[in-house]
Amino acid sequence: MNLQRILVVAQKEAREILRDRIYFALAFLLPVVLMLVFGYGMTQEVQNVPIAIIDHDRSALSRDYAHRFIDSRYFEFKGYVNSVKSAELLLLDGKVRAVIVLPEYFQERLVSGLPVDIQTLLDGTFTFRLRTIDGYIQAINGAANAETQARYLVRRAGLSSSRAQTLLQPLQVQTRYLYNQELREIWSVAPALIMFILTLTSPLLMALSVVREKETGTIYNIYSSTITRGEYLAGKLLPNVVVSFINGMVLILLTVFYFGAPLKGDVVFFLVAMFIYVIWATSLGLLISVIVKTQIAAILITVILAMVLVMQFSGMMIPVSSMSDTNNMIAHSMAPMHFNNIVTQTFLKGGGLISSWRDLVTLIGFMFGFLALGYLLFHKQSKS
Amino acid sequence: MNLQNESWYQIALWFRQVSVMILKEFPQLVRDRAVFAYILYIFTLDIIIASGATLELKNAKVIINDGDRSHISRELIYRFRAPYFDVVDVDMHPDAALRSLDHGDATLFLDIPANFNETLQRGQEPAVIQMLVDTSIANLGYLAASYGTQISSELGAEWVGQHLSAAGASVGSLPQINNQRRIRFNPDINESWFSSISELLAVITVACIFLPSIAMVREKERGTFEQLMVSPLTPFQIMFSKIVAMMIVMLIGSALSLFVILEFLFDVPLRGSLPLFFALTALYAFATAGLGMLAATFARNSGQLGMLLMLIVFPIIMLSGLWVQPESMPIWLQQIINLTPLRYFIDIAYGILLRGAGIDVLWDSAVKMAGIGVILFTFALWRFQQQFK
Repeated sequence: MNLQRILVVAQKEAREILRDRIYFALAFLLPVVLMLVFGYGMTQEVQNVPIAIIDHDRSALSRDYAHRFIDSRYFEFKGYVNSVKSAELLLLDGKVRAVIVLPEYFQERLVSGLPVDIQTLLDGTFTFRLRTIDGYIQAINGAANAETQARYLVRRAGLSSSRAQTLLQPLQVQTRYLYNQELREIWSVAPALIMFILTLTSPLLMALSVVREKETGTIYNIYSSTITRGEYLAGKLLPNVVVSFINGMVLILLTVFYFGAPLKGDVVFFLVAMFIYVIWATSLGLLISVIVKTQIAAILITVILAMVLVMQFSGMMIPVSSMSDTNNMIAHSMAPMHFNNIVTQTFLKGGGLISSWRDLVTLIGFMFGFLALGYLLFHKQSKS
Repeated sequence: MNLQNESWYQIALWFRQVSVMILKEFPQLVRDRAVFAYILYIFTLDIIIASGATLELKNAKVIINDGDRSHISRELIYRFRAPYFDVVDVDMHPDAALRSLDHGDATLFLDIPANFNETLQRGQEPAVIQMLVDTSIANLGYLAASYGTQISSELGAEWVGQHLSAAGASVGSLPQINNQRRIRFNPDINESWFSSISELLAVITVACIFLPSIAMVREKERGTFEQLMVSPLTPFQIMFSKIVAMMIVMLIGSALSLFVILEFLFDVPLRGSLPLFFALTALYAFATAGLGMLAATFARNSGQLGMLLMLIVFPIIMLSGLWVQPESMPIWLQQIINLTPLRYFIDIAYGILLRGAGIDVLWDSAVKMAGIGVILFTFALWRFQQQFK
């Protein structure tokens, strides 16, 4: 290993990145754009749901009930409809996502202490949205029920209103949300996106930079030169790791200052872990570049690999504890899950070396393993 | 008469030229093993994988400190069950429970106090349970908390039903608003219907933007672009034939996933008219291919193109409403989303496939999609012509 030669390769590589202006722009732009896009795209607070109401009763109580939905910020009231038939048409056209049907005698039955059936017609096409909308409706209906019943008890049995409350709700749950008290979706999504975007872009940059040389044929200069493969690879890895690490820092800044997620734990520890992860991810790109011959193939394989690793096995979308045994095992044998653990620990749970040293040690193992693998598989002669 | 013959000849020649250009793309595509394998992957395995990914709470680990050990506390614990919950420990000290949550070994901790049953029986004050939820994955944490609350309030309501008269409030029945749900188009809330259709639309979008543009950049990379420039073909013919060729590939891929994966594997009811679906999908290919063509005019090689396409494709797929509804987005973002063809194709595809809607309902979306497509296509063609000069 000759440091001088490594630096020469690194310098050439850096100059190449700087000169190809489109590539240079994309290398730094892509992570930022992905961060913003996924940051907005994956935080799914369902709001302004278009809704229509059919009121067959037209009484004071039915109007009150309807206004619980009309005044809610979760719904956007599109107007009263006269018949179920025209409501169904609105659903078919996707103009509203829910229709609430209040029957005749709505008020009369409630006042005399009788149950009344209302109907909600829901658009089931987007199931996740449907569950959330259904949850909103249940919650609003539950609140309406509680008030109606409490008022009824006060009026009929002459109880105090607090006594009526206790009678109606003998069992109470006090919920505490840990690590993300206000349930801000972006708090969980943005830090995990650092993991996701580095898993995608670092291998991509590295793989492209090697495969580009293959495609243009300049790699034959390397094959025939006196430089050893270790020196060549080190010189290749160095600038790409630096670019990815800078990208990682930009992502941290976006997470904390643009999306407002907290970084509760040890920052220095996180930077060290991120550095190791970036080296691992870049060597993953080296491995990809060994297999493929064209840039487009490198991109396709990297995107598929990153998506599957992150979405299925990192714990970003599905908690590792909820996975099936097989998936749990796969997740543990992949680096992204360990880095995701570190991300969650340092950003949301206030952890550091003490809580996450196991994950860090595993990551270091992955890093050396992949570096060694890349070194072994990369040959200084072309196979044809 | 002669003049008419002449123009017929011109038209026939035009079509002959275009069809030759179209046909040459197929062997070229099949020989490009990486791209060909990718197309096979996205229309089959990718959709299967994506539809397994659920946004629903599943198998969330629950730990409990049952300080009461009465029949009512056991009843409560019993109700935390599959598919949402999986109780792993009912006798865990709160300190150990916090550590377990910290480690990410459990999602929810339920602390039932020692006098739980007694307080409930006395009925003087509410019996309180503590629930700690790991919300580091916010949406799942929220679901766990709301299902947990729902379980205990149902139990509470049943208790009220049985004990109200005993508590001295002899009122007979209570007023009650019962919500009867009728879920249209997917009554059993089958998640894979939704995720497989959404993923199919994402994949169609990728294919429509990626395939024609990579075919174009390949010509640049290999130098065959120069040949095209001196050929008698017009820029429109070149662009048109690339798009048509890749549209045919995309339609075959869509048919494959529609029939084999969506209908056969996931039992998605294909309710509407399939010819209408394929016709509008072909229209969508034209409406959206302009974006890829535009990128192809900027990129010099496939590496640059690939990165440019990621900048275009990821935002469109993530934001146009496949997974998140546009109405929840900020207004400025909604206005941008309204400019993407996918925004309207989603209405069309879900309308036909799941809702069984016809062209009488969907025509306005189709017109908007086509309008945006014409603008994109014209702009790309203009940029493309610039390259010839």
